[in-house]
Amino acid sequence: MLVRFWGTRGSLPVAQQAGAIQAKIAQALVAGSGRTFADVAEADAFARANLDFATYGAYGGATSCVEIEGADSAFLVCDMGSGLREFGIDSFRRIAGGHAPVYHFFLSHLHWDHIMGFPFFGPAFNPAATIVIHAGHEDAEIALRRQQEEISFPVPFDWLRAKFEFVVHKPGEPFEVDGVTVSLCAQHHSHDSYGYRFEREGRSVVYSTDSEHKIDTMDAEAAFEAFFANADLVICDTMYSLGDTVSLKQDWGHSSNIVAVDLCRAARAKTLALFHHEPTYTDQDIQRMHAETVRYEELVRADRPALEVICAYDGLEVAV
Amino acid sequence: MDLGWRVREAGGRLVGEPTGRVDETTWEAFSAHLTAAVHQAAAAGTPLIIDMSGLDYMSSRGLRALTIARREAGEATPITLAAPNDRMREIFAISRYDKLFKIVDDVDSDA
Repeated sequence: MLVRFWGTRGSLPVAQQAGAIQAKIAQALVAGSGRTFADVAEADAFARANLDFATYGAYGGATSCVEIEGADSAFLVCDMGSGLREFGIDSFRRIAGGHAPVYHFFLSHLHWDHIMGFPFFGPAFNPAATIVIHAGHEDAEIALRRQQEEISFPVPFDWLRAKFEFVVHKPGEPFEVDGVTVSLCAQHHSHDSYGYRFEREGRSVVYSTDSEHKIDTMDAEAAFEAFFANADLVICDTMYSLGDTVSLKQDWGHSSNIVAVDLCRAARAKTLALFHHEPTYTDQDIQRMHAETVRYEELVRADRPALEVICAYDGLEVAV
Repeated sequence: MDLGWRVREAGGRLVGEPTGRVDETTWEAFSAHLTAAVHQAAAAGTPLIIDMSGLDYMSSRGLRALTIARREAGEATPITLAAPNDRMREIFAISRYDKLFKIVDDVDSDA
């Protein structure tokens, strides 16, 4: 399987302002001071090898949208955040190359930041496309139709030309989608949320966002350890620090980097992807949070196998 | 590694002394000991000091148990964390628990 991150930001899309880009350029110029580069490729190689990601790259600002490539022929996509627009455009390119125009979506929940990309999803206007929307929520169709009512958007849902199907699933009842086994896990979040586990040929990916692990129900975390068990990749909501989740941001429905590490370690997962980044965080903030999480994993590893901790960004691809 | 726990009274304060690790296998015992210590300190009208010097580390479960204990203690029974090792200091900083709890260098000091 190949996991492709199209949107990794939580709550609200963000875009960098000129000042942030200018600071990166200035830092790069200082790093390359006194050097000469024969061409752009040589400069690119230097920057890639010598600059940190927050300077050379960017984590991006689109909200949750993650593609799981590895079905027999269909596209599999978790959530419809603002990253969905880019995915839709790219899927046209791949369909032109022979990919089937069949999309299976898996909705964690129906909050705005997880469905806001759908009105801008071009393939919804393709009469040859089939779009199947899987959800744990019975009101998923209501949510998608409502955001296209005239008060919010000029194009009503009924003008879309693709063939739609909404399928409601229950936790604990795995189902097959185009060669991939999918299961759900109920999570704590306003109006509920669901995690998804995708399995094929002994490989597994878990998508668990907008999931608060409350201090009053720590004994219930065994269910998450079972859901994450031995996963090759776990994509986790790591929006806040633990301190924030037990104080000011308690009951905001999100989790922390270090709880994610502990759940993945207990589950013997192989790789944790930090996800659903706080929208007020700069690239430097996210990079610092990633470094701290890597360090925390080292501090509590003891004699157990290492857990790889990566930080999701818009455009990241992870082979599983 | 097992979790050890002892309490003693010293200079008008109750001192809890955990040893070992607090992780997914020991957090429930740690939380129970903390709650009992909070009740004992509250009954005696004394502050509660947790002597961290014998603790190898605690994971998020242990940190969250501290939050439960403080909720239980309320404002009437202050909880101070004393003498954490370097590893625990890093964990407090990464988790931002250093902003939630008073952390002192020595069990007998207030700074």
